[in-house]
Amino acid sequence: MTPNPTAVGNPFAGAKNQQERRERITRWLLRLVTFFIVAVTLGILALIAIKGSPVVFRSQWPFVNTKFLTELPSTLHVIEDVKGNKQEVEVGHADEVKAGLGDNFHSETTISYSGGGILGPIVGTALLVLVSISVALFLGVSCAIYLSEYAKHGKFLELVRLAILNLAGVPSVVFGLFGLGAFVLTAPVFTHMPMDRSILIIPLGFTTLSFEGWDTCVLSGGFTLAFVILPVIITASEQCLQAVPQGFRETSMALGATRWQTIRYSVLPFAMPGILTSSILGIARAAGETAPIMFTAALAFKDKLPWQKALPPLPADASIFAHWEQSVSRLLGVFTESVQALPYHIYTIAAKIPQNEYSERAQYGSVFVFLVLVATLAATSIWLRRRLRAKYRW
Amino acid sequence: MPALQSPPPPPVVQVREMDFCYGSSIALEGINLAVERYRITALIGASGCGKSTLLRCINRMNDRVPGARVTKGEILVKGKNIHDDDVDLTQLRKQVGMVFQKSSPFPKTIYENVAYGQRTHGVKSKDILDDAVERALRHAALWEELKDRLDQNALGLSGGQQQRLCIARAIATRPDVLLMDEPCSALDPIATLKIEELMHQLAREFTVIIVTHNMQQAVRVSDYTAFLHLGKLVEFAETDALFSNPRQKLTESYLRGTFS
Ligand SMILES: Nc1ncnc2c1ncn2[C@@H]1O[C@H](COP(=O)(O)OP(=O)(O)O)[C@@H](O)[C@H]1O
Ligand SMILES: [Mg+2]
Repeated sequence: MTPNPTAVGNPFAGAKNQQERRERITRWLLRLVTFFIVAVTLGILALIAIKGSPVVFRSQWPFVNTKFLTELPSTLHVIEDVKGNKQEVEVGHADEVKAGLGDNFHSETTISYSGGGILGPIVGTALLVLVSISVALFLGVSCAIYLSEYAKHGKFLELVRLAILNLAGVPSVVFGLFGLGAFVLTAPVFTHMPMDRSILIIPLGFTTLSFEGWDTCVLSGGFTLAFVILPVIITASEQCLQAVPQGFRETSMALGATRWQTIRYSVLPFAMPGILTSSILGIARAAGETAPIMFTAALAFKDKLPWQKALPPLPADASIFAHWEQSVSRLLGVFTESVQALPYHIYTIAAKIPQNEYSERAQYGSVFVFLVLVATLAATSIWLRRRLRAKYRW
Repeated sequence: MPALQSPPPPPVVQVREMDFCYGSSIALEGINLAVERYRITALIGASGCGKSTLLRCINRMNDRVPGARVTKGEILVKGKNIHDDDVDLTQLRKQVGMVFQKSSPFPKTIYENVAYGQRTHGVKSKDILDDAVERALRHAALWEELKDRLDQNALGLSGGQQQRLCIARAIATRPDVLLMDEPCSALDPIATLKIEELMHQLAREFTVIIVTHNMQQAVRVSDYTAFLHLGKLVEFAETDALFSNPRQKLTESYLRGTFS
């Protein structure tokens, strides 16, 4: 079809149909790719929801499987009688049930980690997140304040930015190994050096601050995770600080405030909402990482919650102070315990034990709970950001 | 105060033979200026001639700009060279207040905005703060309007109110000198009028130096006017004299709007 300008007086004749077809094909191709991605995501979510929610929810009051959320993981025993009836039994009761069946007993299967609930991993992840976000916020915000408010622009600052950017690209397993080397292996050695008083032991009155007792524990894991999310926090904090109008700083300084007063009273308060919002996303990241905690904090299995550590019993006539002291050391001891964590628990039951219907159930339940927790965090972050953005507009 | 009438009081701000540079480019050259106490002095001149720079020299706000410095001469405030080593910047800025072109109240309550200066200078007593806030707001002719909503966010105020709030905030530390950098350039005529009225009130207690690009405003509010051109102070005289009878050709052509 060649255009013929002299034909019927259409000066705009061209390869219209062909162009349109090409347009349509392109548009559909792009649309299909997008739909495909959305479909895959929804598919994964739906699969987890469909398979996971029956584990977590119940059709009768209280509608949630409290056992799954409030018990520690344990080994599941499945006992089959001669008629083929299967019975799920917790560790402690297996022998009892077997004796009850007597001659009807046919076979017993044990599935590790798949019985009980996932309270241990939930608590462990919560503690790890708590430590990591506290450390990361403190270090990250301090660093961001320095970079944004104090540092002189120039080559050095660019270099620091580059380094932080690179930190964000480091594979998380490398962070894990770093944590293993720095916190688990090296740090306790320093405090146990045969010296009169190690410089790394800082007295705090009722207790001391040191690397004493650091091993595979919440502190090691939390610090390691803190370094994983540090680049995110620094970058976000710096952006939030920069978003505070320069005029606030000028005005504050012109009123005779010192630089620190200016930061403290008329920059940080207005940057903080943004910093906190973006750090929630950091929390989600910290909660989801497996590699950094594999060597530093997490155990595949632990039958105690971190505060259930056995402490030497107090004498009957112990003073109230001794009781108080023991409570404090129990509380602080939580952070020097190793824990189970959700992502690592999921890894264990999904990849480290023989698969069957029972382990699959535990997997989907855990993944579902995990997903709900992370989604809640992300949703909170979005909601907060919306609210604060409306409130702080200048 | 016995020595108020005669002889003429010493200038509260005195700039002597000052050169000022941003990095390697000269922004001000050979500035001489003596500002009399309890008078309003206007700085006029084309945009980019260095009015803001000169104003910001007086409370050393230019210290914040990297590479900016006074390269020659000196500035005396209340008889003291403000670049001396024993000058505490926070004290200087407490006594030389500043109001900026773009009114920027902090997104805090009205009360906290006005109390900010006092607080940063360590005043904790509620009574003293209350007192300072009320006095500053009265001075800025805002007390009657705002006394019932002191705990509301200052960003809820109108543009003119915000600018007057900034004035209140600047005078709450009871400075001797008040620097104003085009305080009305973002306001409508009515709000501008209110601020101009206010300035006459302010001149009873403060020495005001105002930068304005509006010559009528300079005529209306100021006692003295300094005309700057390309970083040099061309003419400095009583406002009436300067506008009716400029001595320099340059001033005359600027006033007539016939710059070549
Ligand atoms: N922060 C700065 N860095 C470099 N040059 C500046 C800076 N601020 C102002 N200048 C320059 O100094 C000159 C005077 O500026 P300014 O004092 O703001 O003028 P005005 O207030 O009279 O419009 C201008 O040429 C401007 O480009
Ligand atoms: Mg200016």
